[in-house]
Amino acid sequence: MAEAPALSVQGLTTEFRIGGQWHAAIRGIDFDLGKNETLALVGESGCGKSITALSIMGLIPKAAGRIAAGKILFEGQDLAQLDEEHLREIRGDRIAMIFQEPMTSLNPVLTIGFQVAEALRYHRGMSQAEARTHALELLEQVKIPSARQRLDDYPHQFSGGMRQRVMIAMALACKPQILLADEPTTALDVTIQAQVLLLLAELKQLYGMSMIFISHNLGVVATIADRVAVMYAGEIVETAAVGDLFDRPTHPYTEALLSSIPRVDRTSDTLMAIPGQVPAINRMPGGCRYAPRCALRQPVCERPPALAPVSGSAPTHLARCWVRAGGDR
Amino acid sequence: MTQAAPLLQVEGLRKFFTVKRGFPNPRTVTVRALDGVDFGVREGEAFGLVGESGCGKSTAGRALLRLIEPDEGRVRFRDTDVLALDRQALRALRRKIQIVFQDPYASLNPKRLVGKALAEPMRVHGLAEGRALAERVRALLDEVGLPPEAAERYPHEFSGGQRQRIGIARALSVEPELVVADEPVSALDVSIQAQVLLLLRGLQDKRGLSYLFVSHDLGVVRWFCQGVAVMYLGRIVERGPLPQMFDEPLHPYTQTLRAASPVPDPRARVTMVRIEGEVPSASAPPPGCHFHPRCPHATERCRVEYPAWKEMGQGRGVACHLYDR
Repeated sequence: MAEAPALSVQGLTTEFRIGGQWHAAIRGIDFDLGKNETLALVGESGCGKSITALSIMGLIPKAAGRIAAGKILFEGQDLAQLDEEHLREIRGDRIAMIFQEPMTSLNPVLTIGFQVAEALRYHRGMSQAEARTHALELLEQVKIPSARQRLDDYPHQFSGGMRQRVMIAMALACKPQILLADEPTTALDVTIQAQVLLLLAELKQLYGMSMIFISHNLGVVATIADRVAVMYAGEIVETAAVGDLFDRPTHPYTEALLSSIPRVDRTSDTLMAIPGQVPAINRMPGGCRYAPRCALRQPVCERPPALAPVSGSAPTHLARCWVRAGGDR
Repeated sequence: MTQAAPLLQVEGLRKFFTVKRGFPNPRTVTVRALDGVDFGVREGEAFGLVGESGCGKSTAGRALLRLIEPDEGRVRFRDTDVLALDRQALRALRRKIQIVFQDPYASLNPKRLVGKALAEPMRVHGLAEGRALAERVRALLDEVGLPPEAAERYPHEFSGGQRQRIGIARALSVEPELVVADEPVSALDVSIQAQVLLLLRGLQDKRGLSYLFVSHDLGVVRWFCQGVAVMYLGRIVERGPLPQMFDEPLHPYTQTLRAASPVPDPRARVTMVRIEGEVPSASAPPPGCHFHPRCPHATERCRVEYPAWKEMGQGRGVACHLYDR
């Protein structure tokens, strides 16, 4: 941890306007992303994991959303303060992103060779021929079979798994320091998912990248992450090294999430469901946001808990829970 | 496990689709969605059909209900030959076999109150009317864990998990014996998925329901089902009881699926094996065993000859040359 982080997010709060009022979709998000580290943001629909990534990329729609507070420090700059022109220089160059549904992120009327080469021409000023040669290398690197013949094919001629490989090739074109991967394998079948996860891990090594991996699937997270941040209702509720998190899930939400997964590798008679549902963005409880669904709820949970060290675990293991990681109580 | 006569018996079910593909010069291709599928569901059992996209598992669920007319095969429900029924008899049969879809929102009329949507099948089948009908709607909502006020609301007012409860309530309204559940929890978050799975399990116990449970998620199938068949490109490659079949899969494809299914344990990541290739198109399945291009054990014989079905004892069977003797 002595080395400076590749990215430091501090107190990030992003708000959206609903019926004339601003509501926080994510609140006080803090994390450092180490060099060569894979940090997984995990949580269910609406927990704010994608909003966190879009905030980092400066892709929050201006009409209805804003970064209300916090810093996103990258190479000595605060991305939250940069204007669109400067952000565009960074996006796709030093920070790149891949999305869940590759078909909606690829342009259907342009060849994939053109689309992979585009970033190189824009950011690196390469000639068309030069960029094309480089695009071919990238497609080979992401293991697209007979890449040379496929350079002039269109996205619809590729399978879902192959499209995701094209997306990865596009993202890697400028050798980014940071890759944001938002549910990149969710739309894929399990055998293809395994291939893409393996590919991402290899390429991360090869390029010396840091990666923020967003997923709702704790199985996938256990496979790829070095460190995990569990999100609930717009906040990080627990964060730890991957081993510590799965060995000692501490926040009641993390624990419940783990015991609600039917596992393929063991027979478990009990399956725990979490009662109720995530509160709406404009009806967040004032205290602990998980309290209304929590079995361990106590009077103290009426006040908002902070992330506090989990006693008996590594110092980097933090949880936002009065009962399980009360700290000063 | 007793060898009771199966509630549902499917034999040699086949469905080919002819589609036009390609632009600007379309060609007619035949997609072999179901290419001779055999399985049975016993009374009170939840039987799983698993496989990846395009393997034919959903087509199987629809074809046995004749929502898609199969080309060939036999479907027996108790003593009824399903494929021989006329329209009227088929409608009566569909009271006994109901289906629950992955996306209940797409199968609910957005302009119709939930109460009306639940009442309609009961009226169509002449099960209740008037005050008794309203009473049954209330009881159904209660059974799936929804408040009585839900009857006066529209589908869009509900979350995904609640909509799936409505879909289940509607299937239950005509008191079926068998429910075909087609990826019923795939669109739901895990905590909500667990709620719906527990609901379905509860109904199995309370009503003695049987399920044909179509899913791509081996973990869910292991928890929910007592038996399972694994499909690949329109055919069943392995069948047997759970958990044995996932603990010791015989077919190399089942082994691959099992190894590729992520487990929430960082120590299990070493088993992430390198898996070759993608699923070929069902319009041009490879010759011989369909799986041979991706199979680590493929031999010359696998390239030319589709393996015959072999019973392996203890209710297990497999179609793979590795188990020839």
